[in-house]
Amino acid sequence: MTYKTIIGLEIHVELSTKHKIFCNCPNEFGAEANTLVCPTCLGLPGSMPILNKEVLEYAIKAGIAFNGKISNLIKMDRKHYFYSDLPKGYQVSQAEVPFCDGGYLEIELESETKKINLERIHIEEDTGKQIHSEEEETLLDFNRSGVPLIEIVTKPEMNSAEEAKLFLDKLRATLKYIEVSNVKMEEGSLRCDVNINVVDSETGKKSIIAEIKNLNSFRAVVKAIEFEEKRHIDLLEADKNTEKETRRWDEAKGETILMRKKAGASDYRFVVEGAIPPVRISDEWIEEIKTTLPELPQDKKTRFMDSFGLSSYDAGVLTQSKDLSEFFEETLKYIDDSKLVSNWIMGDVLRRLNDDEIEIQESKLSPKALADLLLLVRDDKINNNTGKKVLKEIFDTGNSPEKIVKEKGLIQISDEGELKKIVEEVLNNNEQSIIDFKNGKDRALGFLVGQVMKASRGKANPQLVNKMLLEMMEER
Amino acid sequence: MDITSLKAWEMKEKIIKKEISCKEVIQAHIKKIEEEDSEINAFISLNKEEALRKSEKIDEKIKKGEGIGLLSGLPIGIKDNIASKDLKTTCGSKMLDKYISPFNATVVEKIINNDGIIIGKTNMDEFALGDSTETSYFGPTKNPINKNVVPGGSSGGSAAAVAANMVALSLGTDTGGSVRQPASFCGIVGIKPSYGMISRYGVIPMADTLDHVGVFGRDVRDATLILDSLKGYDKKDSTSSKMSNSEAFSIVFEEDKGRNYLDGMKVAIPREYIDLVPADKKVQEQFDKAIKVFEKSGAKIEIVSIPHLKYAAEVYYIIMSCEVSSNMARYDGIAFGHRAEEYETLDELYINSRTEAFGKEAKTRILAGTYALTGSKNAELYQKAMKVRRLLKEDYDKVFASHDVVLSLSSKELPFELNSIKKTSIESYKLNMYSAPANLAGLCAMSIPIGEVDGLPVGMEITGDRFKDRTIIKAGIGYERAVL
Amino acid sequence: MISKDQVLHIANIAKLRITDEELEPFMEKFDQIIEFVDRIREVDTEDVEPLYQVNEDNELLEYNETNQMISRQEALQNTQEQKYGYFKILKVVE
Ligand SMILES: [Mg+2]
Ligand SMILES: [Zn+2]
Repeated sequence: MTYKTIIGLEIHVELSTKHKIFCNCPNEFGAEANTLVCPTCLGLPGSMPILNKEVLEYAIKAGIAFNGKISNLIKMDRKHYFYSDLPKGYQVSQAEVPFCDGGYLEIELESETKKINLERIHIEEDTGKQIHSEEEETLLDFNRSGVPLIEIVTKPEMNSAEEAKLFLDKLRATLKYIEVSNVKMEEGSLRCDVNINVVDSETGKKSIIAEIKNLNSFRAVVKAIEFEEKRHIDLLEADKNTEKETRRWDEAKGETILMRKKAGASDYRFVVEGAIPPVRISDEWIEEIKTTLPELPQDKKTRFMDSFGLSSYDAGVLTQSKDLSEFFEETLKYIDDSKLVSNWIMGDVLRRLNDDEIEIQESKLSPKALADLLLLVRDDKINNNTGKKVLKEIFDTGNSPEKIVKEKGLIQISDEGELKKIVEEVLNNNEQSIIDFKNGKDRALGFLVGQVMKASRGKANPQLVNKMLLEMMEER
Repeated sequence: MDITSLKAWEMKEKIIKKEISCKEVIQAHIKKIEEEDSEINAFISLNKEEALRKSEKIDEKIKKGEGIGLLSGLPIGIKDNIASKDLKTTCGSKMLDKYISPFNATVVEKIINNDGIIIGKTNMDEFALGDSTETSYFGPTKNPINKNVVPGGSSGGSAAAVAANMVALSLGTDTGGSVRQPASFCGIVGIKPSYGMISRYGVIPMADTLDHVGVFGRDVRDATLILDSLKGYDKKDSTSSKMSNSEAFSIVFEEDKGRNYLDGMKVAIPREYIDLVPADKKVQEQFDKAIKVFEKSGAKIEIVSIPHLKYAAEVYYIIMSCEVSSNMARYDGIAFGHRAEEYETLDELYINSRTEAFGKEAKTRILAGTYALTGSKNAELYQKAMKVRRLLKEDYDKVFASHDVVLSLSSKELPFELNSIKKTSIESYKLNMYSAPANLAGLCAMSIPIGEVDGLPVGMEITGDRFKDRTIIKAGIGYERAVL
Repeated sequence: MISKDQVLHIANIAKLRITDEELEPFMEKFDQIIEFVDRIREVDTEDVEPLYQVNEDNELLEYNETNQMISRQEALQNTQEQKYGYFKILKVVE
């Protein structure tokens, strides 16, 4: 049987505005408990919320970047539920009229570009935080209460953990581009809930959607989806498809755990936020905000394809992160060879960044260093393999390629006179290979080249060695 | 001379002219409170020492010839749902029995900045949910005019304090008539200005889209004096309006040499009041008499129809209870307010704290609001009520396009007896048809005494269009001048 | 007629407890309220927009510059229990 996984995401993003959404308290992470508070964000009786213009500006930027339709009316509603970190008994959010309707993001699959549509984006306030101490008590800190959030809700259009991961990467990249959020999952400025079910492609039978909460890393999102896929398939096969569940991801156990079953949707008893009159947003203001946006990933991708002749996939990957795309363009200032630079970044550079789990700007590699290295390679001063070794060395030490090459004596030997001795010696020691080659065994040539490279400690110019071997075997 | 029986503006004149000292004024009022309030119970907390200290400072200022604020040392009572740093703010509830606000409401700041002296916080129905001040956790307030009847509510303490001469002026709040009805019951003037005229920052909300701060005085001039000191746009309250930054209202009539404002005034009387919820006959007679006064003074009276008045009480009850249930959600026993001693789960913490601390009326309205917001009722009742609210507002827009004021009774009934059982809740809900429309449409409205029935006061309501507060003040002054 | 279960369900959502002896009179009153408010159903509101606020001409969006921050001590002054600058409740069973 074949199953198709259906995934929708709900992502909460903390905006990095100077102030909270309804008061003037600083929007900062990591302060001492309950020191960034005022009557409004503590929900004290008689306090009133003032919708901060800065928050709308940030939110609208995001809405435009995600290709959504910005509403001309901003209306806030109260969403009611009781919880200890929610000081007013309701969260101020947007119910039937989100500030941004629809929108989409494109992700780069190996074979195609896939459009993931958004349901909506709305603005809301964050809650406080609770800490469960060992001494049978719960401690509450309201510094985070009232930090502005946007909630991005996708349509259920992702079909694998990989797609969800790509979507989140793109989402995070875009938010970073437009500088509206720190998007740090470890600080909680990006949080993701997953809605998932599977459908039996033959019978059309579907499992009931489960919502997975508390996912605090992209890795956890991937693992939780993979776990749930299996669980849902098992449920379908055992015909034990019950009711809608809310589950959480347990990192230690590597599995999702049931939090609650919910019959029907929760009833949030939405009421208009009477303290915040609906505000009209002019098209001029939206246009004005649009002009402040930097080039967005999608536009940059098209430009990279057009100006640098890159493939859709390569351009997509290179523009995924603002820093990476800037690194790429900066490198091209020193070496005018977009294909070469792109190949190296897409290959060894990204591989290394992935291994180290860091961003390009956190590494010791600079655009100038990469360009200098590639110039050495292009001008045959060092060969490709040596280039890779030098790159590793730059990542490790931050030294310039010239210095590494000089200190380690890695300059490629492209002088026939210098190489002749080595080639002769290798031929002398491998009579059998010469016979083999002459009998038509091409592999023998490769073996001999390898022997020369080894003897030259990797410094010999491989093309030259090839040529010399052929010539000198001919003479024998 | 009994200082306390003077009008506020008379006291002010005497203080400024140094005929009496501010300290004498405050001492006289404190004495009055000490004599009367054990029986009337208009106050929840008092600030005697601080008030006296302040009065000395005001006298000092006057002696030195320094500029003095609009309220020039007058003793003022503040309803206890208005946040103040120095005195606890209880909302008349066990829930906030000991609550000390870390900040002052904007109106409190304005009173202080205008040299008014806050004598105490006044009694009220719990969280302003009531019309008799009997639902207060701190016991009922009695009507100074007849101690067997209620002073009205929910701002009963503020109205009684002014009527009993315990303060010169006071502040109330009005969500569906809570200033105008007690003003009517206590025989004084109460003004609920237009929505957005006075900042609500620091006023503990009952229903945000309906809540107004209102004022009490012994005559229209008194009420206008304190209104002038409070009005104005406030950055801290998004629902306050820049339209409120208009010229002081009192200037109009202080310099008009006794002009007859009623002459040529276009008055509308809604026929729905006669048809739908007819008033007590004797009360209606008082109203008819007052209309005659308008007519004689040259006002043009016209009977009009406000079709959706028919549903005003229902619309009010739905929107009010929905917003109440929302505003009461923050009282969960965690960051402030009553916390139950016994609980094992978070749910028990909420349920026990709220069940212990909220009174019956509060619980009823919370539940009614919860009902009207849950599931399909949200659209059928809450959303629907907001639509009918628009229709009602449009009715008023039409009337005010060709009329200056709408006249009606402030309450169709006389002040009723304390603990009276005749009043089932539904009956009292229907009475909101008289006062709640002004809240639903954000109109300015005033209750002004027009006579007595069996020794109990009757009030008339003068309603004006949004931000036409000057018009109702002129009408009120005009009426006072005509009957003097 | 509203049922017992409905009333108890609503009370639970609102985090209030209704005792057994309160239940009957309360249901009676609630039925009256429902009958009273249900009358608005007869109003024709087709094509009518809800009125959220009486003053609808709002363009008052501003950068929030009113600082009202309070000290930690003031923040905590009305709570029953506190610890290390946090609000404190008993550890709650989820
Ligand atoms: Mg949310
Ligand atoms: Zn704050």
